[in-house]
Amino acid sequence: MRRRFDTATLVVAVPFLAFVGLFLFVPTIGLAVKAFTPGGTLGLSAMQRALEGSYRTAFVNSISLSLTSALIGGVIGLLVALSLHSLSRPRWLRSTVDSWFAVAAQLGGIPLAFAFIAALGTQGIITKVLGLAGVSVTESGFSLSEFWGLVLVYLYFQIPLMFLVMMPAVGGLRQTWSEAASIMGASSARYWRSVALPLLIPAFLGGLLLLFVNAFAAYATAYVLNPGAQIVPLQIRFLLQGNVITGEQDLAYAIVLWTITLLLASLILVALLQRRTAKWASA
Amino acid sequence: MRVLRNIFLAAVALYFLVPLLAMARFAFQSVPVVLLTPDKLLQGWSISGLLDVFANPEFQKAAITSLQLMVLSILVTLVLLLPVAALVEIRAPRMRTLMAGITLLPWVVPPIALVVGVAATFRNTVPWFLASPYSLVPFYVLWALPFSYRALDAGLRAIGARTLYEAARVMGASTFTIIVRVLVPNMVGAIIAASVLTAALVLGEFAFAALLLKETLPTFMAEFQRSEPRAGMALALAVMLLTAFIIWIGVRVLRRRGMELQAAGV
Amino acid sequence: MADVRMTGVRKVFGSTVALSDFTLEIQSGELICLLGPSGCGKTTALRILAGFEKPDAGTVEVGGEDITTVPTPKRGFGMVFQEYSLFPNMTGRANVDFALKLRKAGATERKETVDRLLAITGLTEHADKFPHQMSGGQRQRVALARALASQPRLLLLDEPLSALDAQVRDSLREEIRRVQREVGVTTLFVTHDQHEALAIADRVGVMSQGVLEQLDPPRALYESPATAFVAGFVGTVNRIPSERVDGGWRVLNRVVPGRPASEGASLAVVRPEQLAVDLDPEGGGSVRETTFLGPLTRAIVERDGQTLIVDVLTSEFPTLSAGAPVRVRLRDDVDDVLLIEGRAAANGPATG
Repeated sequence: MRRRFDTATLVVAVPFLAFVGLFLFVPTIGLAVKAFTPGGTLGLSAMQRALEGSYRTAFVNSISLSLTSALIGGVIGLLVALSLHSLSRPRWLRSTVDSWFAVAAQLGGIPLAFAFIAALGTQGIITKVLGLAGVSVTESGFSLSEFWGLVLVYLYFQIPLMFLVMMPAVGGLRQTWSEAASIMGASSARYWRSVALPLLIPAFLGGLLLLFVNAFAAYATAYVLNPGAQIVPLQIRFLLQGNVITGEQDLAYAIVLWTITLLLASLILVALLQRRTAKWASA
Repeated sequence: MRVLRNIFLAAVALYFLVPLLAMARFAFQSVPVVLLTPDKLLQGWSISGLLDVFANPEFQKAAITSLQLMVLSILVTLVLLLPVAALVEIRAPRMRTLMAGITLLPWVVPPIALVVGVAATFRNTVPWFLASPYSLVPFYVLWALPFSYRALDAGLRAIGARTLYEAARVMGASTFTIIVRVLVPNMVGAIIAASVLTAALVLGEFAFAALLLKETLPTFMAEFQRSEPRAGMALALAVMLLTAFIIWIGVRVLRRRGMELQAAGV
Repeated sequence: MADVRMTGVRKVFGSTVALSDFTLEIQSGELICLLGPSGCGKTTALRILAGFEKPDAGTVEVGGEDITTVPTPKRGFGMVFQEYSLFPNMTGRANVDFALKLRKAGATERKETVDRLLAITGLTEHADKFPHQMSGGQRQRVALARALASQPRLLLLDEPLSALDAQVRDSLREEIRRVQREVGVTTLFVTHDQHEALAIADRVGVMSQGVLEQLDPPRALYESPATAFVAGFVGTVNRIPSERVDGGWRVLNRVVPGRPASEGASLAVVRPEQLAVDLDPEGGGSVRETTFLGPLTRAIVERDGQTLIVDVLTSEFPTLSAGAPVRVRLRDDVDDVLLIEGRAAANGPATG
């Protein structure tokens, strides 16, 4: 009676797997093959060049942009979740933030970039208001098209995303745990250090990964704010559209392959870290 | 402590509100920022920019394309995913880890990466496939997978699909009947969640469509804003509100069923 | 001298009075159970004692010291919660050890104490499991060991057994009693389960609507309920119409001294085992049904349009069955009866 796969499962699983295979694996494997055969012959030259010069800069920039926005967004998102958790009134606040963040987490892309241009661009209203107050945004060196500008814009979807990831974990902190700690003589700070934070860490790590990948892959927002930014997604576009020179495309394949490797590696790293920090949750 | 918390929450609220308000002002007030003085705050407000966009035939075409892509992506997602998710849950729970892994993979191959792979393979072998804008559908379904699959899976578990399946099985129902007549009606919330997340993704995706030269709402928006800044801003705001509305509906429906709209977790 | 004393405590939540003028004294080393239906205020009393809630009025003293405003961590109590109170990120051992770390005990002392407590609670072999790998009973044992680790001057137990299976519940109940005696810690145990309360407590306090109705040793509570509520809540009772006569009250066949709970009281509160039956065609009663309870057989008897519950020795009436004509009488050894107001009936919580 116990077969490993039954017919019905196969009937629906096969089309699904074929779908993923055709539209995800075939293109990925295809570009991997091309990345390792630059100019039609086997070789590592494309993969090497993809990590040199301006491409190396792009990787470094993309990683630091993603890490920075993930860490800042992660911490703020967690703090919002904790603040709301400790706040029972007014009751509308919790559900409003819940709904709005569910929305904002999806609001990347073109419209978001426009919104920040309207606020903080050279012609932005906040730029103007700050200027009237004697603070010159441009002279301060801040620009939406530079590193910290991008971080500021990315936070708009990073904070809500971390909030959505952390809310179930924060909501899972039982009141009895803090009460038990308190009657044992633990201060509130001690409870957070020894019980609550260790319990939140696995979810937080998962959230950081989500935010990192999210920022690394973000294209539209950066494209509007600064099409010439030295970050990986825009470099790929540059190579793909300026495809007149042969060999440039091989470079694009190599950069993409490195990107996928990086994202996959971070996924595995986080899974391992989670297993270590969540020993108590698994058998 | 309490004061700090309230200041913090207020600052966060400000950060999230200000760009939207700035956007609305830019879109609907025809006074350039340079000329804006306190006495002109109430002058020149109109929604003519937005009306201009709506009348634009190119916009209409792009919007219709995006809506079609949205509907098709949702349909493909449900037809392809729901039976797999259901059968894995009720008949082969050991495959759950495998499915969780597979459905997470599109994550590490973002649109800007996959478009290169697609160009490397499909463009040479099946160029006709990429000619139609509908060729975007499978990829959109793919990127929505980490979210849509988790939504469906959570729904199946929330209704105790296994027990329902076994109960219906004892009464003599076939697997197909059980999925269509028992499971689907019970997991409306999860189906809406999966649809809403897919819709939001389709309405926002830019990289893939732009690089394959497809005219969708986001690519039109990026192009249009260059020539018509004010109308472009109005359109972006409208799209943002539409997306927000769609997701909000999903959140409401889910909350009434005691569920949350989940982010894809690891 | 009372070890713990709550005096005139009042607590109001919104429009609900959870406790009104609540006074309770616990002697040193004593185990007191607060018993009552949900919402009676027993948990509020315990939470005020723990310092989780601030009383609106009244004082809390422990060992002669007024602790009404002392914050929870400084009270030096131990507590076992209903369930899920173990820190899930720590093993059983680490949970117990955490209490000792908080007291800044030395490493050797900590190890010795943890080992001793784990041994007392019979947990030695499960100590290195995480809470989610333990059974409900094991988790509550760890919680008990953890609560005792800091040598509390008062142990609070908030329905610690109610989430467990019946069998585990009984054995853990005995164990809590044993450990409590061994350690000699003053204990307040809150429960809604009368069997639990009667079995474990030195004294049981029955609560209703924020008021302590009666505080007495289990036997006294059962045999001489002070109020109609206590009579109805603890055990099964018959309410039998009786009349005032010279020398006491006439209840069925006998005249006994009665304790009217109020002015117009005329219903005698009589336990099923305080009644007896004789087979008698002229007896005026008829058995409607019988339930076999092992050594006892419970008979439901119809008599004068009233239903009575009578427990008889199974060995005395091995074949008692529906339809048998009987005479119901009050047993000769019953010499104290509570009289209450109300409607005649037999009722009480089903015996479990």
